Amino acid sequence: MSVAPAAARHYSALALLRARIAGPGYWRPLWTGRKLQPAYDVVVVGAGGHGLATAFHLARDHGIRRVAVLEKRLVGYGNVGRNTTIVRSNYLLPENHYFYEDSLRRWETLSRDLNYNVMYSPRGVVDLALTDDAFPALARRGNAMRLAGIDAELLDLVALERFAPELEPRRKRRFPIVGALLQRRGGTVRHDAVAWGYARAASARGVDIIEDCEVTGVRTAANAATGVETTRGYVQAERIVFATAGHTGTVGTMLGTALPIETHLLQAMVSEPIKPLINSVIVYVSPGNGETYICQSDRGGLVMGGHLDGFPSYTREGQWHRLEDVVQGAVELFPRIGGVKILRQWAGTNDMTMDGSPIMDRLRYDNVFVNAGWCYGGFKAIPASGAAFATFVATGTAPDLIRAYRLSRFATGHMLDEPGQGPFPVRL
Amino acid sequence: MTRIACPFCGPRELREFEFHKTLPTPGAQGAFARTYERVADPALSVEHWQHVAGCRAWLLVHRNPSTGVVFAVELAGEVMP
Repeated sequence: MSVAPAAARHYSALALLRARIAGPGYWRPLWTGRKLQPAYDVVVVGAGGHGLATAFHLARDHGIRRVAVLEKRLVGYGNVGRNTTIVRSNYLLPENHYFYEDSLRRWETLSRDLNYNVMYSPRGVVDLALTDDAFPALARRGNAMRLAGIDAELLDLVALERFAPELEPRRKRRFPIVGALLQRRGGTVRHDAVAWGYARAASARGVDIIEDCEVTGVRTAANAATGVETTRGYVQAERIVFATAGHTGTVGTMLGTALPIETHLLQAMVSEPIKPLINSVIVYVSPGNGETYICQSDRGGLVMGGHLDGFPSYTREGQWHRLEDVVQGAVELFPRIGGVKILRQWAGTNDMTMDGSPIMDRLRYDNVFVNAGWCYGGFKAIPASGAAFATFVATGTAPDLIRAYRLSRFATGHMLDEPGQGPFPVRL
Repeated sequence: MTRIACPFCGPRELREFEFHKTLPTPGAQGAFARTYERVADPALSVEHWQHVAGCRAWLLVHRNPSTGVVFAVELAGEVMP
């Protein structure tokens, strides 16, 4: 008989004092190495942000005790540790901005809810217009947000200079800045801390987090799934949740269902640390180089990302010429960073849907749930997605917040095509 | 995967080409399936590409999306995306 490992300590000022007195050995691992059990109420596949958050809410809000999170690699190995850490809710479509606003509100209190510092930094997200036609589009988006009660400010050059003097908005450039849309509550969150915080909080509520355990198949009987085949043997499950991001398409193949998803790569990069230069998150589409977003990490590195690599891939190897596009876009805006060296570059696999919005629905069987299609915007959605999806899985009824994300919308013509680009993964 | 061998132009840099779409599931019926559903096979992907910065030919590229290895490139001809 194995002894249940001790749960992680609660973090508080008092705990710091206790640790000081108790000496080394006081702190315990954030999540415990539990053994895989033969049967569970809910098996969540994928220990990324969405999977862990769903498991956490299943255990905390719905009292489901036997929950396992199965992870092929390590907690946080996938996209939750590969993004550019930006959180915001500046969407145009009502279905999207209400959902992401729910998420942003949860980010604001997440550190307290998880008893883990996720370093939410509301430093402001600034969308720049570098062309005359981009500015009215930003104004339209900002107005849509304000009608929904979400904070949005349209900035002219004077106001932008006051908010972000480092941009030198009135400097002469090939593509001069026209104006900007600011969401002050948007900002960044320490991405790894989100994975670790949710894993710790879920584990403390009895969720089994099993790493190095790949799901290879789904066993079915009489029109229902009965469990999953894994590299560690068969696991019986009453309900199965897939939160596998870029590998959702292959989950569909596993279940014999083609999905409106293509897996694309998105790369990001970080420079060597420099002195504080950029105080907010800057997002823009430069007419020559496509989309660039740039912010500065607490360590001082410039975190940059851009658009998709442009074709389906599972390799996690970004294309060099896309990296060049992003860096050119960044240097165009901030010529003074031209001499700064890139320190690291990486890519994540993105489950790109055919309208750019997520899919949260059942998949083929009544007890198989898929939380997918987050494209390259999944990180900011984690808290709302976990809470809403756990409700869906526990009660069998999708909350209003995510009802628009049903899979059947593609067949019925109710797409949520935020950029209005037609049946293709979002291209910028 | 850094180059694609165009049947007209020979091996050319990847950035000269533009990916358009993965072929629909074989036997896909109806507008919905052909428009939205995609084959998700990590070992083989058959895709429409265009040599946009070259001869502008439409191509069918057979690749392994898990490794980036290109198996074959042919003219798309009558194959509809």
